[in-house]
Amino acid sequence: MKKGEIVLGAFCVAFFSFMFYEAFKLHGVGRFGEVGSGFWPMLSLVVSVILSLSWLVSTFVALAKEKGKAAEKPTPETIAAAGSRRKKVALSVVCILVYIIVMPWIGFILSTFLFVPAFAIALGERRRLVLIISPFLITAITILVFAKFITIPFPKGAGIFVEFSRLFY
Amino acid sequence: MFDHYLNAFATVLLPQNILAMGLGGLWGLLAGALPGISTSMGIVLLLSFTYTLSPITAFCMLVAAYCGGITGGSITSILFGIPGEPSSVPTVIEGHALAKQGHAAYALWTFLLCSIFGGIFSVLVMMAATPLIANFALRFGPPEFFALTILGLSVVSGLSGGSLLKGFLSCFFGLFLATIGTDGITGGERFTFDTMVLLGGINFVTAMVGLLAVSEILIEAEEPFKEYKGHVGYRGMKAEMPKFSLFKKNWFNLIRSPIIGTVVGALPGAGATIASFLAYGEAARTSKEPEKFGHGAVDGLMAAECANNASTGGSMTILLSLGLPGSNTTAMMIAAFMIHGMQPGPLLLSTRPEIVYGIFVAMLLSNLFLLVLTIVGIRLFLELNRLPYSVFSAAIIILCVIGAFGLQNSMDDLFIMFAFGIIGYVMRKFGIPVAPAILALVLGDMAELALRRSLLLSLGDPMILISRPISVVLLAGAVFSIVYPLFKKPKMLQEL
Repeated sequence: MKKGEIVLGAFCVAFFSFMFYEAFKLHGVGRFGEVGSGFWPMLSLVVSVILSLSWLVSTFVALAKEKGKAAEKPTPETIAAAGSRRKKVALSVVCILVYIIVMPWIGFILSTFLFVPAFAIALGERRRLVLIISPFLITAITILVFAKFITIPFPKGAGIFVEFSRLFY
Repeated sequence: MFDHYLNAFATVLLPQNILAMGLGGLWGLLAGALPGISTSMGIVLLLSFTYTLSPITAFCMLVAAYCGGITGGSITSILFGIPGEPSSVPTVIEGHALAKQGHAAYALWTFLLCSIFGGIFSVLVMMAATPLIANFALRFGPPEFFALTILGLSVVSGLSGGSLLKGFLSCFFGLFLATIGTDGITGGERFTFDTMVLLGGINFVTAMVGLLAVSEILIEAEEPFKEYKGHVGYRGMKAEMPKFSLFKKNWFNLIRSPIIGTVVGALPGAGATIASFLAYGEAARTSKEPEKFGHGAVDGLMAAECANNASTGGSMTILLSLGLPGSNTTAMMIAAFMIHGMQPGPLLLSTRPEIVYGIFVAMLLSNLFLLVLTIVGIRLFLELNRLPYSVFSAAIIILCVIGAFGLQNSMDDLFIMFAFGIIGYVMRKFGIPVAPAILALVLGDMAELALRRSLLLSLGDPMILISRPISVVLLAGAVFSIVYPLFKKPKMLQEL
């Protein structure tokens, strides 16, 4: 985790420094005598850079201290468990992203109907009854409450999917 | 003022508002009682239901959910030993110990009655104090508002958890995010990189949904697969109702603890956690049976629960009178005000008195509703823990999508929500708290505008910020608020 902290700390330093450079371009934007557009962002970004650097340095120091101690070697079981965890998170992220991307094309109703079992499978669900019943139940409740009752204009999709969505809301 | 209260009672008691309070209270109890959903997450998810409601109906629902969330969190604390929020830790210590001894129903009754008593006590204080504080705050100019927002941002020290460095990094990240979009004074673009999506800035409801709820689901996805949300282990309540003598014996504890809760809840940076620990500590210090503490001391449970719920009134007083969020959950309330075209603060009482007085009355009635709802529905709430975990998580993501989309009916908001979900996940993985970023995103814009207006007034002289007595006191309060928790945080809290 310490190596990850170093990578993230370095990323933070780079990101906030780049944004500081961008904020510097805003310096002086505004009328004469006014505090410019860049003042507040520069202030917050310079502190962010200092805090990121402090975090990076403190992580390096902690890592150097740990090097003296004998580190526990990960067992094959822990490596496999970590791999499985990462796979589940990655699959969940992909499911959410695909759900959002396809929604304007196939409509809210169909994308939600497909998302529920896909996300459940990504999390490790294998019970058939749950996988079959839940999409119908959740989609029906969602449409009833949010599309019919609260009347949120969800995307209806494109082409043939518009006709399909119009059957429900 | 009497007229305002009469009108507020008449409005809040309309059928649609009673229904909203009932549903909000039920949702809050569920959010609090179900592992994996916090009160603040419950409020965020509920926001999407309130878009098309009238402001007063929306706030009836939200304040009931707020009170319900705090109350519901203690159900899981007592029965399962899982603190939904850090403020429930004393409840876990004493309440769960009682449950393990076979007195779960006794612990639930005690927590419920004390929680409702603490809540009602703090609402009465809120009713008396809010107009006074708001009238005083009407004298505020830009320097005072700047000092006030800095005082609000000083909450960071209380929300940072283990590392103050990471807490402040999160806070300054939030302050930077608040600058994205169109500059409120010059009208120029900042950090938009010529994209239309960022021109209006980052909507903090969208960011909040991503940072809090989506990231929480991703964190939970890492855990080994479980069939259900939790396990149910509960028997009837009738047999173990506490006797009146218990409350008579603890009368001083019952007065002291809500006072601690209300006062500490009103302090930025302190909130429910410090309040419940302080009241619990005081109860332990003055108890005639201190050896029972840690093994099911009912006076410890009473103190923690009274203070815990009393902090809601304290936080809401500061939110309504000064526009400052004292905690993560009240920051969500600011979002609710903005969604309905209002800005909480001293002017709200004069511009929208029906909303402020309506909130007072709704909070008072919500506490009474919760008493009934919890007694009637406790078995139902616990049965919901048997929902399939995977489907439950999918439903939460769908609610997040609806919450982000429904705000402006824009697909762009969904991508922003997704991006903040990933950012929140990474932040949590590396122990960076997300709450300070949310708080800074909410307050950053106000702080910047107040600072720049102050400097315009003084022709660029920064001494204006420390030349007025109110701003000096507020800035000193901010410094105190940052430093105090570092030294006075109870030991148990630091170990969390």
